[in-house]
Amino acid sequence: MLDTFILGLSSGSTCLLTCGMVIFPYLMAGSAGTRKIITDLSFFLLTRLVVYFLLATLAWYFGKAILTSAIFRNYVSGILYILFAVMLVWYSISRNRKPDCPAKIVTTVNNKKLVPVLLGVVNSLGFCPALFLILTNSATQGTLARSYLAFLGFFAGSSLYFLPLPLAGRIRKKKVFETVGILATGLAGIIFIIKGITNLIGGIING
Amino acid sequence: MDEVITNQSLNKSFGKSLLYTLPMFLITFAFISGGRINFSDHSGILAILLTFLGMNILYFLMHYTGKTDKFRAILFIIFALSLSFTLIKNMVAIRHSMSFSQADIVECKIPFCHLVIPMMILPAAFTKSIIFPGTILGGFANISSMVVLWLVATIVLGRGFCSWGCFYGGWDDGFSRFRKKPVIKKISGYWKWMPFAVLLMVALTAAISLTPTYCSWICPFKAVTEFEQVTSVESAAKAGMFISLFGGLVVVLPMLTRKRTQCSFLCPLGAINSLSNKITPFIVKIDKKVCNECLKCVDVCPLFALTPEDVKSGNVSVFCSKCGKCVDACPRKAIHYGLKGIPAGSMKNFSRNIFLFVSFLFIAVFSSGSIITVLKSIFNLFI
Repeated sequence: MLDTFILGLSSGSTCLLTCGMVIFPYLMAGSAGTRKIITDLSFFLLTRLVVYFLLATLAWYFGKAILTSAIFRNYVSGILYILFAVMLVWYSISRNRKPDCPAKIVTTVNNKKLVPVLLGVVNSLGFCPALFLILTNSATQGTLARSYLAFLGFFAGSSLYFLPLPLAGRIRKKKVFETVGILATGLAGIIFIIKGITNLIGGIING
Repeated sequence: MDEVITNQSLNKSFGKSLLYTLPMFLITFAFISGGRINFSDHSGILAILLTFLGMNILYFLMHYTGKTDKFRAILFIIFALSLSFTLIKNMVAIRHSMSFSQADIVECKIPFCHLVIPMMILPAAFTKSIIFPGTILGGFANISSMVVLWLVATIVLGRGFCSWGCFYGGWDDGFSRFRKKPVIKKISGYWKWMPFAVLLMVALTAAISLTPTYCSWICPFKAVTEFEQVTSVESAAKAGMFISLFGGLVVVLPMLTRKRTQCSFLCPLGAINSLSNKITPFIVKIDKKVCNECLKCVDVCPLFALTPEDVKSGNVSVFCSKCGKCVDACPRKAIHYGLKGIPAGSMKNFSRNIFLFVSFLFIAVFSSGSIITVLKSIFNLFI
């Protein structure tokens, strides 16, 4: 849970500064005040949690069905960790990064009550390398409870940044926060590369 | 305009420089001698005398020549080398090895250094515990004295600590001076934000795991101080990490770029010190009336603290460590040490004198112990 929480924390700031800028105006649109924002934000976060639990269940099920032996699990998780973590590191150093948020799709929906829920769904299904890493982590956990905990860690880490969302528009040095967040995401990727190598070595030694 | 430049020259006459050195002479004598010189210890007396004279000659030359960086760098590099030597000597005397065992961790016998501070803050605030296996008071390199020293230096000097007090900075400062011209000239300013990302990661991981993660996995200076005994794949991986980061960021990249790459791209304490630049009274200022935007200061800055945009706007960024390299390089003396509240271009000599006195006194007092130890060890070989 610790490593997924760290991954959530490191990628969360980038998520806020790309998606937050899309989500924020919609949460604010037509709102009567702070209570409305808090209600919408709660629906948004709750939806994310529900989607993550669904993903955790799916990942655990497929993990259990496909990764039957512990050694095979070490090999597969090791390779997937390295692959997705390299993608995460590449994302942090790439200059052609597109800071677009998938939640932009929701802009076409007219029903304002549905917007926070749809935003939550789209935001949690934004298939980025960080989510792939969590899915791998979740699939290789032994039990469903541990799979949930992995996603819960990611959810807690990444949601922290959304809590002060109403203040996001007032951040003066957005570019600095975004840069630091992206670099921290790359560092989290390095942690997962080490984890992947450890899993592979474990698989080789045990195999 | 030439006359303006001459008038703003920072060098002084021989007599005036001696007069400026006198207070430093007296204070360093009091600190270095400690009032209890053992005259029967010949190598000790010689080491103290050489350290004392050497330091004061450097300080005198700063005033006499008007140059700061090259004399600061001499002391700064000697400090880094002597501190590592002293630490290793101490470890070998106590443990017969540079490495420490799990028993040393359990018995809290690990010497403390200032790089642990960013990881201590969150656990200390939330759990009221110190997550480092060292001694709080007493013993070699205890936690309280190092924290107090860093805190005072950081409040007074800001990121100046990184060029006037950090006993690791001298390593990459030294290697960055090996070549006359850089091989790698263009490095994106994007990477200078990396220490903040490292700070974020190590502060969080340390808070969650309650272990000093930077020391356990990343610190390049473990390669020249002490490290965990290699007893497993994990400890071997850690040792590999320390050596490769030291080789890459402290030796090779500084030589290729002429920049202090470890301080610029990794050190999490440097990130905190950058923030403290906001509160310190001493800053480096650009006099826009004199500056012709030749950008020599941007080229020589070892910490990516200056960009062409900064020069145009007349503001030096928070990354500045007040090493004095840009001040020495500026042909028009447009960039200078200043005090907050005093406009750029005025009271240049006054500001420089105060800053030099405070910062030099700090490094002189802080470094004297380890330099004396090294000199004494050398003299003991012959006397």
